[in-house]
Amino acid sequence: MRIAFAGNPNSGKTTMYNALTGRSEKVGNWGGVTVGSKEYKLKKEYSGSNEVIAVDLPGAYSMSPFTPEESITSEYVRTANPDAIVNIVDATNLSRSLFFTTQLLELGIPVVVALNKSDINAKEGTEIDVEKLSEKLNCPVFKTISTEDKGLAEVIKTAISLAGTTQTAPYLQADINLHDKNAVDAEDRKRYNFVNKIVADVEKRKVLSAETNSQDKIDAVLTNPIAGIVIFAAVMWFVFWVSQAWLGPLVADWLVGWIEMFQEWVAGSLENSPAILSALIADGIVGGVGAVVGFLPLVMVMYFLIALLEDCGYMARVSAVMDPIFKRVGLSGKSVIPVVIGTGCGIPAIMACRTIRDERERRATSMLATFIPCGAKIPVIALFAGAFFAGASWVSTLSYFFGLVLIFLGALLIKGITGYKYRKSFFIMELPKYKVPSLKFAFKSMMERAKAYIVKAATIILVCNTVVQVMQSFNWHFQVVEEGAENTSILASIATPFAVLLIPLGFGVWQLAAAAITGFIAKENVVGTLAVVYGLTAFIDVDELEMIGGANEVAMAMGLTSVTALAYLFFNLYTPPCFAAIGAMNSEMKSRGWLWGAIGLQLGTGYTVAFLINQFGTLFTEGHFAAGFVPGLIAEALMIVALVLISKRVRSHFDEQYELHKKTAKAAA
Amino acid sequence: MEDKKTLMDVEPGMTYTIKEINTDDEMNAFLFRLGCYTGEPITLISKKKKSCIVVIKDGRYNLDSLLSNAIIV
Repeated sequence: MRIAFAGNPNSGKTTMYNALTGRSEKVGNWGGVTVGSKEYKLKKEYSGSNEVIAVDLPGAYSMSPFTPEESITSEYVRTANPDAIVNIVDATNLSRSLFFTTQLLELGIPVVVALNKSDINAKEGTEIDVEKLSEKLNCPVFKTISTEDKGLAEVIKTAISLAGTTQTAPYLQADINLHDKNAVDAEDRKRYNFVNKIVADVEKRKVLSAETNSQDKIDAVLTNPIAGIVIFAAVMWFVFWVSQAWLGPLVADWLVGWIEMFQEWVAGSLENSPAILSALIADGIVGGVGAVVGFLPLVMVMYFLIALLEDCGYMARVSAVMDPIFKRVGLSGKSVIPVVIGTGCGIPAIMACRTIRDERERRATSMLATFIPCGAKIPVIALFAGAFFAGASWVSTLSYFFGLVLIFLGALLIKGITGYKYRKSFFIMELPKYKVPSLKFAFKSMMERAKAYIVKAATIILVCNTVVQVMQSFNWHFQVVEEGAENTSILASIATPFAVLLIPLGFGVWQLAAAAITGFIAKENVVGTLAVVYGLTAFIDVDELEMIGGANEVAMAMGLTSVTALAYLFFNLYTPPCFAAIGAMNSEMKSRGWLWGAIGLQLGTGYTVAFLINQFGTLFTEGHFAAGFVPGLIAEALMIVALVLISKRVRSHFDEQYELHKKTAKAAA
Repeated sequence: MEDKKTLMDVEPGMTYTIKEINTDDEMNAFLFRLGCYTGEPITLISKKKKSCIVVIKDGRYNLDSLLSNAIIV
């Protein structure tokens, strides 16, 4: 048996779904957090002896979709024939929500209405006569508070008992020609009149929504074009500072101590084993994976803080305050949400682009969102900040800020290439009520992330490190590489051709090239591979220092100056993200051309940023350009030629389309 | 045209009746589902150069100037 959860955006569907299934799907206090359908079986305590699958759907205002994620919902309830629908209604906005409810009631599938957020209504003195409402809608209605698990059992029990029955609609749309816009309009008006009458009958409000309240005062500050942006910058800086310069490293120091002890113990117990085995296990597996896991606290603290931000209702305000700026570069305020989510992980960030209505804006945002360093890049940033810049927190601040700058520049570039003509792009964002963020949810979100991080470290990263260790230890004749002949290893011979391309960037050695390449599988691999190829973990053992501590040795082993180290770090941050994120981009863009454009843009950006930092950085610090300046310039020139050619092609297509429109318009006239 | 006042032309803190909405078909339909259509009330909470905050039904929304200029009250 399947029960679908449908309702307006930000009514609390996913919160209810999580409570009923025990899952930890992403929740947040703004409309459009859920962008795809998810299903899972109900907990036994709710489903009883039945096997019940709950289906969480993206929020929708009606059965006629407006944005791509809304169409998932209307298509599902229309075609998938769920056995029952739980319609989650935001009880604080009954007058709007019931429009969709009356449409759902017409489908014939039994509907149970959950009047969610009833706690807020109680606080504001809004009373809803549940019995009367149930009678008018001709379906069961229950008050619920999904954040506190209240009323959910009754809703589910009723939905299960009704499965298989046929719903009789209280309001049926007249048989009209659905292609006749005026007739549809008139019908929709009638439906709203029907809804308005019900609301007038069942709802008593103490506080009118139109009255100015204390939340409006907060909004006035947070959406102020100057104060709002300063506050947003300060909030994000605080998040990065706490997670990456203060609390995160504090916990990390402690954790790394334990990892070291474990590694020593492993090395000790392998004392009598062949050297190659002990190198593989102690250095490769434990060392490489340990290097990655050591940064886990930074990621966890960050997730915790971002979850608090997402829960309190601030995101919608950020989106509103940033809209004018993002519009200038051809994006929209809705592009901010993917950017903030992207600080955690690029994949949900790219998926969040689905709420952007304009196709070009949507594709451009999903192309650019990953310039903001994700959680997997934190270890890379922390390693380089620690090893080359004495743990300076400006490195991480700069990484995020520069990512944002690249988003703006990239957006301008896309705007230029696509020959973006002024097209009306309206912006409307619901401002949800503020709420005190739930520590419990933030904790859950953090633990969920920690679990995913550890699983990733124990699978993908473990496998990659093992492969790297083996490829580094053997040559093509499967003989163990001797000391001093490291360049003959399988890894070296594969990575060297790539390393040559990186000479103009200042890090043309096979070890660094190999680490950058494994980074495409998962960005944490950059750290893992560096630890393996340079035997970095050995330093930690000897000095009894945490990863962030053994700075000088780490720096010396890699043979990078602070200029080339920064170039290498930025190269890894701004080249294409991991394959999983590229896959997400592919499915959101639905266009080969845009996908390849995105990969090209990201490769070009990473290369150019590193090239400029290395060459000009060397010029400033040493008074001359670094090696490979001319070949690098040639590479840059080729990129520019490619851009011009692509732009020409895109623009000619655009003109064709544009002309076609004009011609047909004339013909019609 | 002169007597047509958009949301950007009127004083905040008051409730107005929507007289006309001039966006595109899709956007009009979307606004309709929020309860924003001709004959319905809309309250202007605050107004800035490039945006404004309104109350439609029982929800608060931030609109950009493009959209608020398309709503005639």
